Amino acid sequence: MSIIEKLYHMTAIQDIINGPGTLLMLAIGALLLYLGIKKKYEPLLLIPIAFGLILANLPGGGMAVVPAEYVQIDEHHYKNLFEIAHDHGIMNFLYYSLIKTGFLPPIIFMGVGALTDFGPMLRNLRLAFFGAAAQIGIFSVLISAIALGFTPAEAASLGIIGGADGPTAIYTTIMLAPHLLGPIAIAAYSYMALVPVIVPLVSRLLCSEKELRINMKEMDKLYPAKQKIKNLKAVKIAFPIVLGIVISIFVPSSVPLLGMLLFGNLIKEVGVTVARLSDAATGSIMNTATIFLGLTVGATMTSEVFLNSRTIMIIVGGFIAFAISIAGGILAVKVYNLVAKKKINPLIGATGLSAVPMASRVANEIAIKYDSKNHVLQYCMASNISGVIGSAVAAGVLISFLG
Amino acid sequence: MSDLGFALQLMGIGMITVFIILSLVVLLGNLIIRFVNKYLPEEISHKVQQVAVQTGNFNRKKIAAIVSAVKIVTEGKGHVTKIEKM
Repeated sequence: MSIIEKLYHMTAIQDIINGPGTLLMLAIGALLLYLGIKKKYEPLLLIPIAFGLILANLPGGGMAVVPAEYVQIDEHHYKNLFEIAHDHGIMNFLYYSLIKTGFLPPIIFMGVGALTDFGPMLRNLRLAFFGAAAQIGIFSVLISAIALGFTPAEAASLGIIGGADGPTAIYTTIMLAPHLLGPIAIAAYSYMALVPVIVPLVSRLLCSEKELRINMKEMDKLYPAKQKIKNLKAVKIAFPIVLGIVISIFVPSSVPLLGMLLFGNLIKEVGVTVARLSDAATGSIMNTATIFLGLTVGATMTSEVFLNSRTIMIIVGGFIAFAISIAGGILAVKVYNLVAKKKINPLIGATGLSAVPMASRVANEIAIKYDSKNHVLQYCMASNISGVIGSAVAAGVLISFLG
Repeated sequence: MSDLGFALQLMGIGMITVFIILSLVVLLGNLIIRFVNKYLPEEISHKVQQVAVQTGNFNRKKIAAIVSAVKIVTEGKGHVTKIEKM
């Protein structure tokens, strides 16, 4: 009898009976895996997050990330990494060394920078302004979330989902409200995966057919650019260096993200001499960072943390932030078109949120539906890339005031 | 100040900051383009010009594309000296 009892206690059956929420979490993990594998919704991140969630919720596995109080000794002292690994397992070691320190999001931003081409933005600099207008969703939802009872730091973490930039959302949440990291990461990456649904939805609600037919190339022919770039490579090399220095003066708190983004971009633009560096930034380093980021963020989502009304509010709030950001960009273009001779297709405003390059691709597809010759991809990329800068700056402002 | 008032203030500060930074992006971008156009005009255009002189009535855009492609494929080591129609 005692052997059977011991065998029973060795299993996790009693833990599951004691905490049925675990089963629900495992079902959520399975659903996220399905969305990542079958539906291909941001699979590179959603699959590690989903598996991290499952690992964290396997009873007795010891893979769940514990709250900060568990590793805090007194007000200003924490356990060292060896003690964390010894007391709480490897997942907590990874979380507290790579995530809690804010290490991984800037590393991923370096890879993003090495994959980003500032060329479209440099060729259409005035379109960069729409990347600013599209940040309105962040701050609108910040206000609404505070009205609903979130603390300012939590509300800022929720609002940053509207920036449509996964690493920025995660970095801001780590700095401001680490206890909300799981649901915010899930919401941010889910909505980024749903860009092909949300952008057309908001665009069709706010734009007339006539506006969606505005042909950017025709406009360029009617009103050609005043200056052409004679040496794009030199401009692309100088741009991240100068911009990095200037931004660090105005919004120093955005430097960990933007500095790494611009460094990644610089090594890409320098070209063959440092090709090994950009290959590493976009390949092995970024892939490794993505695996650990996904697994550890997933491991923060235990049933106690995830299954509550706040998660639902974050999911809904994130969607609203996303939609308002798209609407903000579109409305900014509409206002611009009221006064400018050279009209702009409002879809370019819709891509002012980050989600590079998916938002641009989706906008291009919408434009082509209305006019098969109207390829707006390059123009959308201009506001899309400026949106990455805009959301990182917005994050910097929030961290400066609330961190 | 109430949290809501603070949030409104943060919205104003945040949006103004984002607009200022992206205005700086536009300004700096334009300044860099002007500087580069004036002092560092593209090296490749000279090469394209040289090749174009030797290849006669060949579409200049096509020459530029071929010169760029060769430069990328050979990692900057290869140069086009002449293009002939076969």
